[in-house]
Amino acid sequence: MEFNHNVAVWFSKSFGLFYLMALSLAVVVYAYWPANKARFEDAAGSILSDEDKPWR
Amino acid sequence: MNVFGFHYRLERKAIGLVLAIIGVASIGGIVEIAPLFTIHQTVEEAPDMRVYTPLELAGRNIYIREGCYACHSQMIRTLRDEVERYGPYSLAVESKYDHPMLWGSKRTGPDLARLGGKYSDEWHVAHLNNPRDVVPQSVMPAYGWLGRTDLQAADLGAHLKAMRAVGVPYTDDMIANAATDAYGQAAPDTPFAEGVTKRYGEATNVRVFDGAPGRLTEMDALVAYLQILGRLTAAAQKPLAAAKE
Amino acid sequence: MIEQLSRNERQLSLVILLCLAVLGLSMAAVGRDDPLGAHGALVLLAAIGGLFFVISGYYAPEAGPERLHSYYDDPSKVGIVIAMAWALIGLFVGDWVAWQLVNPDLTFDAPWSSFGRIRPVHTTAVIFGFGGNALIATSFYVMQRTSRARMPDQLSPWFVVFGYNLFCLLAVTGYLMGSTQSKEYAEPEWYADIWLVIVWVVYFVLYLRTLSRRSEPHIYVANWYYLAFILVVAVLHIVNNIAVPVSFGHAKSYSIFSGVQDAMTQWWYGHNAVAFFLTSGFLGMMYYYLPKRAGRPIFSYRISIISFWGITFFYMWAGSHHLHYTALPHWVQTLGMTFSVMLLVPSWASAGNALLTLNGAWHKVRDDATLRFMMVAAVFYGLSTFEGSFMAIRSVNSLSHYTDWTVGHVHAGALGWVAMITFGSIYASVPWLWKRPAMHSARLVEAHFWLALAGTIIYVFAMWNSGIIQGLMWRTYNESGTLAYSFVDSLVAMHPYYIARAIGGLLFLIGAVIGCYNIWMTIRTAARSADARAPGEPAPLYARKPALEPAE
Repeated sequence: MEFNHNVAVWFSKSFGLFYLMALSLAVVVYAYWPANKARFEDAAGSILSDEDKPWR
Repeated sequence: MNVFGFHYRLERKAIGLVLAIIGVASIGGIVEIAPLFTIHQTVEEAPDMRVYTPLELAGRNIYIREGCYACHSQMIRTLRDEVERYGPYSLAVESKYDHPMLWGSKRTGPDLARLGGKYSDEWHVAHLNNPRDVVPQSVMPAYGWLGRTDLQAADLGAHLKAMRAVGVPYTDDMIANAATDAYGQAAPDTPFAEGVTKRYGEATNVRVFDGAPGRLTEMDALVAYLQILGRLTAAAQKPLAAAKE
Repeated sequence: MIEQLSRNERQLSLVILLCLAVLGLSMAAVGRDDPLGAHGALVLLAAIGGLFFVISGYYAPEAGPERLHSYYDDPSKVGIVIAMAWALIGLFVGDWVAWQLVNPDLTFDAPWSSFGRIRPVHTTAVIFGFGGNALIATSFYVMQRTSRARMPDQLSPWFVVFGYNLFCLLAVTGYLMGSTQSKEYAEPEWYADIWLVIVWVVYFVLYLRTLSRRSEPHIYVANWYYLAFILVVAVLHIVNNIAVPVSFGHAKSYSIFSGVQDAMTQWWYGHNAVAFFLTSGFLGMMYYYLPKRAGRPIFSYRISIISFWGITFFYMWAGSHHLHYTALPHWVQTLGMTFSVMLLVPSWASAGNALLTLNGAWHKVRDDATLRFMMVAAVFYGLSTFEGSFMAIRSVNSLSHYTDWTVGHVHAGALGWVAMITFGSIYASVPWLWKRPAMHSARLVEAHFWLALAGTIIYVFAMWNSGIIQGLMWRTYNESGTLAYSFVDSLVAMHPYYIARAIGGLLFLIGAVIGCYNIWMTIRTAARSADARAPGEPAPLYARKPALEPAE
């Protein structure tokens, strides 16, 4: 199949949809993955603690 | 724990984040813009389309320099009221030699896409000198110095050459004669005028645009540009003519 | 400043400044009376000034290893001061152009002061001068704190701060001389663009090097937003600015793109400059300073991650909504519209996340104008992203496009969101940076807050009204089926709103002036109390906890 305008347009229209779905799924899975929970909560709390010095 | 391994993992994580951001962000733009570079396969042809003359190009650069695009669009949308107010809607092909395009995003003043030939040169000169002399309610700045400033025409050949480098079909002949053509287009009674129509077509406007013969000013250039807006090709007029028949 | 640099860094900075001087000299030589020549002189002057400054401190004793036990905050301090200076310039010029639309003779018949030349001065000064410097200054602060690591060296942050401001200076002075690419929000010419790429690469590398010194594996989410800002702005900037200069002696260049491709590229850039400069970066600011100031962790860390990827992904497709009903192919317009509407989800998730973080801290919002700045910023972020998605719908856009409604929308975002979150973050970090218990005057922060809020609301309402009236007048038909109003009729109808807008802008400017005074007084008292201390005595660490001071 030769690469012409119609092919490019078809690819843009269809690819965007699949890309969107796959990415949304991946992000939600990552954010709600049980093993990540503790790390995220640590991170959210970490900025509140004292930090007047670098760790090294 | 191995210090190097630990560090290696940390850096890999940051790089991973960087790559993910680039990937997620740029693919959308690439996929959306890529087909536009094959668009010439589908859009309208305009065999009569001509390039800007050196004087018009200089005028266009003044238009850019003064930021006219901040208040005037050059893009008539496919809406009934716009077509009735400004003229036939703009086609993609009409700005194919516009590096960059000047479609604009705001109309503090009216659209200019079909300005060419709508008013006389005298009107434009008076309007640019002080807009409120012609349109009392206007809020446009006065550009009185344009008529007092000589146009820098000597390096126009280099400008045409740069335009050719980005894809505008200027010939060697046009580039070599750019400076004299700029002078000739605003000096109809001189031998230089002939070359302009020879190189850019009989329909090219060759006039004393600023009303002051003998001197090539920035006013000449800007008015020459304003008078060609929407007139590089008749492609946009065609669907209208066809509909009337 | 110089005494903080190691011997090697001092030498390296001299080398860099010498190279810059040579560059400036050659630009001045080949450019001559072109704007490029003037800019060469400017670069040369800046380099010579820098050389004198470095040499004057060159023989100061080196700072000992104890400096490594503290964060390197001097570049953040300088960045904040410069950001406020740009705010004054940008807001003043903005209000001046606003008055020019009320009285067009306020140009005083000079070429440099006409609307078309100083309008980009306004946009560049506020977006890149004020916003950009605030982003750089706060990102240095945040990346060190969240990584618990000092910056790896003392030179590159200064290169970023001063290099970036040289870019801003080249941009703004260029417009006054008439040197512009005409690409909205990307007006600077090719040489300034190349310089910005160099600065940006150093910034990016500095950020990564600091992150790689962190102690824990997870990178705090504010850094994600800052990183996306740095990275994507680099991509956008490079692609959008590809151009062929007339010659190496000309400032003028011709964009490699033309017509419809250029329109799409410019708005792909333009809309994503909004996304990654004015949204992503400032969200990074919000995700650090708002929880910190409220003393509560972010409501949902997960939502902040989900909305991060949503924003990073969706925005890239949305640029074409600036080109509805134009010669851009219909399917691209539809794609842009769809993604713009979907953008509401991550945008509102972020705004909601910020506001829900304040649950349990609303009494602080009541008492503390600094936190209230951040709260109002989140509200305006929610409002203007809703408005943006709404205006991206094709039929709405047919009315709003080309009118003042767009200007109102932009300012709801710029004044309400970007400036408010920045002022909030600056008011939070100034006492922390200069080791003071609080700002010089809480009442002045309060005054600034109300002036800023009043100015924003007056501005936005004026532009909503004028924009909608304009759009309706342009499309109104009379009974005989012809257009009811001439263009000039619509222009006359705008007059009262243009006055109101300029007054709103003036209030916002006055607020910023008060803010500058307050910051200056805070810094001055900090310097005085430092002088009063016995030499060798350590500065008190007020900065450990964000001190809240209720307004009397």
